[in-house]
Amino acid sequence: MPGRLSSSGDSVVPFSSEVRDPVVYHIQHGVKPPISRLSIAWSRGNCLRVSFFRPELDEEEVGGKVVEVKLSSGDEEFDDSQKRKIAYGSVSPFAVFQNQKNSILAMSKMAYHIDWSHQVMEYSRDVKSLLGYPSTTPSSVIDDPRTVLKTGEKPTCLKAAWELLEIFYADKQSHAWLPECLVDWLAVMILLTSDYDSLLSASEVTVHSKLVDLQNQLVNFQAVEDDRNYWEGVSSALSVGWFDTAVKLLRLHGSYQVDQLGNRETENGLVEAVAVLISKMPRMRPELSKRGLGECFKTKPDFMKAWEKWRGHISKLECSAFWIQCDHQQTRDGLRNLLQIMLGNTNSLEAATCNWMELYVSNFLYIRPFTMGLEGMYTLAQKCMQLRPMSNTHRLMGLIFGILGENIEVVLAECSREFGLWMVAHAIELLTAGSNQAEMLLHEERHNLGGISIEELHRLVYAQVLASHALTWQIAPVYLMSCMKQGIALLEILLYKQPVQHNRMLLKSLEICRMYQLDSISTNLMKIAGIYHWKHGRKGFGVFWLQQAGDELRLSRIAQQLFDYVGKSISDDSFKQWEGMIELLSSEAMSAGGLEFLHKYRDLKKSLQKVRDGIATDTAKQAVESLILLMKSPSTPQRFWLSLMHDSLKLLNWRERPLLNVSQTNLLLNKLQELSMARLRPDFCETDLPPQTLGTIRLALATNLGRAILEE
Amino acid sequence: MAIEMEMEFEKESPKIYRFPQSKYIDALRWIPSPSSAFDRFISLALHDPDTDSSSIEIHSLTNQNPSLHLESSWTSSSRISALKVSQTPSKTLIAASSFDGSLNLLLTNPLNVVIESENSISDKDFHVGPISGIDLNGGGSECVTVGEDGRVNLVNVGESSLGYKTVFDSHGLVSYAAVKWASPYEFATGGLGFSLQWWDQRKPGGAVSQLKGDWARRSKSGIVHSIDIHPSRKHVCVAGGSSGTIFAWDLRWQQQPILLSWVDAQVGGVNSPSESEVWEVQYDAYMQSQNVSNTSSTRVLPVMMCSEDGILASIEQGGKQVEVLGETSSINSFDIDLQNPSDVVCSLEWESVVFVSRQ
Repeated sequence: MPGRLSSSGDSVVPFSSEVRDPVVYHIQHGVKPPISRLSIAWSRGNCLRVSFFRPELDEEEVGGKVVEVKLSSGDEEFDDSQKRKIAYGSVSPFAVFQNQKNSILAMSKMAYHIDWSHQVMEYSRDVKSLLGYPSTTPSSVIDDPRTVLKTGEKPTCLKAAWELLEIFYADKQSHAWLPECLVDWLAVMILLTSDYDSLLSASEVTVHSKLVDLQNQLVNFQAVEDDRNYWEGVSSALSVGWFDTAVKLLRLHGSYQVDQLGNRETENGLVEAVAVLISKMPRMRPELSKRGLGECFKTKPDFMKAWEKWRGHISKLECSAFWIQCDHQQTRDGLRNLLQIMLGNTNSLEAATCNWMELYVSNFLYIRPFTMGLEGMYTLAQKCMQLRPMSNTHRLMGLIFGILGENIEVVLAECSREFGLWMVAHAIELLTAGSNQAEMLLHEERHNLGGISIEELHRLVYAQVLASHALTWQIAPVYLMSCMKQGIALLEILLYKQPVQHNRMLLKSLEICRMYQLDSISTNLMKIAGIYHWKHGRKGFGVFWLQQAGDELRLSRIAQQLFDYVGKSISDDSFKQWEGMIELLSSEAMSAGGLEFLHKYRDLKKSLQKVRDGIATDTAKQAVESLILLMKSPSTPQRFWLSLMHDSLKLLNWRERPLLNVSQTNLLLNKLQELSMARLRPDFCETDLPPQTLGTIRLALATNLGRAILEE
Repeated sequence: MAIEMEMEFEKESPKIYRFPQSKYIDALRWIPSPSSAFDRFISLALHDPDTDSSSIEIHSLTNQNPSLHLESSWTSSSRISALKVSQTPSKTLIAASSFDGSLNLLLTNPLNVVIESENSISDKDFHVGPISGIDLNGGGSECVTVGEDGRVNLVNVGESSLGYKTVFDSHGLVSYAAVKWASPYEFATGGLGFSLQWWDQRKPGGAVSQLKGDWARRSKSGIVHSIDIHPSRKHVCVAGGSSGTIFAWDLRWQQQPILLSWVDAQVGGVNSPSESEVWEVQYDAYMQSQNVSNTSSTRVLPVMMCSEDGILASIEQGGKQVEVLGETSSINSFDIDLQNPSDVVCSLEWESVVFVSRQ
């Protein structure tokens, strides 16, 4: 591991000079002391392999132990395989979006104003769809009127964080109805914080927990309206905008029962009036959410008009004379409190909500429905926090404040700290789409980062994480190729690091090379594989890969080794073994680096075998052709000359007529002469043939020459 | 040709079901079920690089609302390189070869597919290094194995023990990548340089004939990854390999293969659903049943293939292609349910099993 450099100016990634308090973790290893040696190394992924060694004194005790320590970011929302699933799923949206961006950028050189918000949203939606998982409890088919709370998809913090970024950075249209977007988002968030396995302590009361308790009690109630919890539940649901729940609860009011309807007419009328007012609330949004009620307006003037009218109806009901006729005290108070909430009475809102986020939502719903953009959102959040502080801070809080405070650096840091490298690498796309300032900040090439931008840095780091795992390394190239400066170099390293011994793996690496047109890397990988297989005795594979790589040099070098092997082993019956290899070499389009000798050698051997079996002159003539071809070929090694001619003695001494003509005989004689000369040189290697061979061949050739001259 | 394809196959798109796993899938096979009324079974060869452990799992696939349920599993000591299943009325046999050169045979109860016994060969003389291809014969009594070491072994599957004999040993001069039985005596192997070999146990000593590798001269050479032989046409052997190449070798016309799918590097012509490695080929009985008129004995029957660039497609002689699945990740293996040829399972690089029903 790299040590700390003396000055931070030299380092690629700047580090802070302040030393933070070290965190101490204990590793349970169970090795008896003394421990003489300790070794720490990286294992797969983010595992550390710690080896403990004991001195070799004690014979009974074990000599040591190896412990794998998993360094987790503490994010237990997704396990490793789920994280991989997200990584796999986000490859395609990322790649598609990069392509779109590149083509739009290429076009924008001609046109000035180009809007890609549509593409950004598509990307964001595709990625978002990967982040949630369906609730484990299946939803009931029968709609139970007493089920006031419905759970669909189980929310995840990661998805909530992504949605938040989408609302503020990617979705340009949402800026017109930001408060409503926040209401929807906080509804999920409130569920998240109420979740028993979330970071918040279970003891903390929230609107959600209140409603869950209420739902459990509902079965036992005879007259719900007599219970204080019922009215609290309705007001809480209303305050955070869960209108369907609030209306559903109101309709459980005792006055709706058939036997009661007669004598509680006025009371029932009031309950229904409030329920109708709730469901008619004007809302500044394009469409309703799943649990939403109310009337939607798309433009601000229409909305303001409807809003005033609606408030008018509430005020009118508030001053109505019917309240006096209602003799059920709890109903009267409860309903009037609901009206106060809708009118935006600060005290009522504060009473109905349990923490600052809920209060924050209620503020947007009833006090500041006209908020546009980010104005005042930050100060409002701070105010709510002071009024209703939360005992624990949720991991999304930092992100929210970063966004509301319009501080891109904080947003990025929070994404990285809380949600990891995947989040940063993918969320940057949303951030840069969101504002010019963010784009400049993230795209600016920085000297202290070695000339790359923050965006590229995060992509590279994410790619390195992908590359460290056997199942994800293949998707790292997608991210590396989107890095202009350092991507290619790192991809090269990644590809060279992959093991070549498994052919499937090698072929997958080669496929990546093909996709990105990295021909030279591809060639090198084939060479490495070729040498590996050759060294491990798989000669066929070795030759195949070297041929594919077009590596003449190595092929001719291994050819020498192969010839040694041939010299020893090509007996007539072992030729079957060679058959496949020779076929491999025969494809002429491939370079064989001198190995084509083997092919011709095989042909000669074959014809000689035929000659031995029969005495047909035609086959013998063919054998002679093969012999001459071999002897003429520059690729035939000199040390084979003698044995070739020795093997062909029968041809030279052909009984019926001389098979070799004058020039052919001369060629062989010349070769023989050359051999005799070469024998004088120190580097000449002797064959295993008997010493008189040379003489025998010379004699045979001379005889043949004589006969050939006579014939011609 | 492409237009013709669209015209003829404009029908309901196949139903696709995805089952994410949390391990890498090295291979998968249907396990023939005794009756179609029951759920069907699939065997998966899995690998977990985090724990460096490998296993064979048997899952049931429910008929209604398809989903996978783990029935039983068996831990392997080494990563599995090839998987084959054979069934007789009395037993179901799962054969799995490994990267360390051993062969494992699991015997399961055909009714409830619980693994009842296991047997293995991990002899030093058996294979050195990865076994790249295996095939069980119809009765499950013999298994042929080929490896990168250039050995061809025949394993005799007995009641309680396994015996083997080495049919051929090239001492690494040739490596084999795929093998398939043609008859009780004959089988075909494939390997480097798009070569195919034909073997006959009655004629020992080596391959009886071989398809010369130099036919692929027109384009880049490659490796044969998979072979299939149709039980009714034993003289034709279809093979798939590198660069989207699929070809048939008819033993009656030995010298030239029939190209079904190829990429011509020199001319730049592409007549293949894929341009990368074709990992597996199998005769597609479903496509065959779709156009009965076209099954004259001189034509090669339709073939299904899966590839590194994520294509699962059926192709016919003459260039007709039907893409069944197009994935962003590699499709590493697939298997057609012989009892319901419209149904296919395949495994994706990204730890997923996909079930495709073409009905």
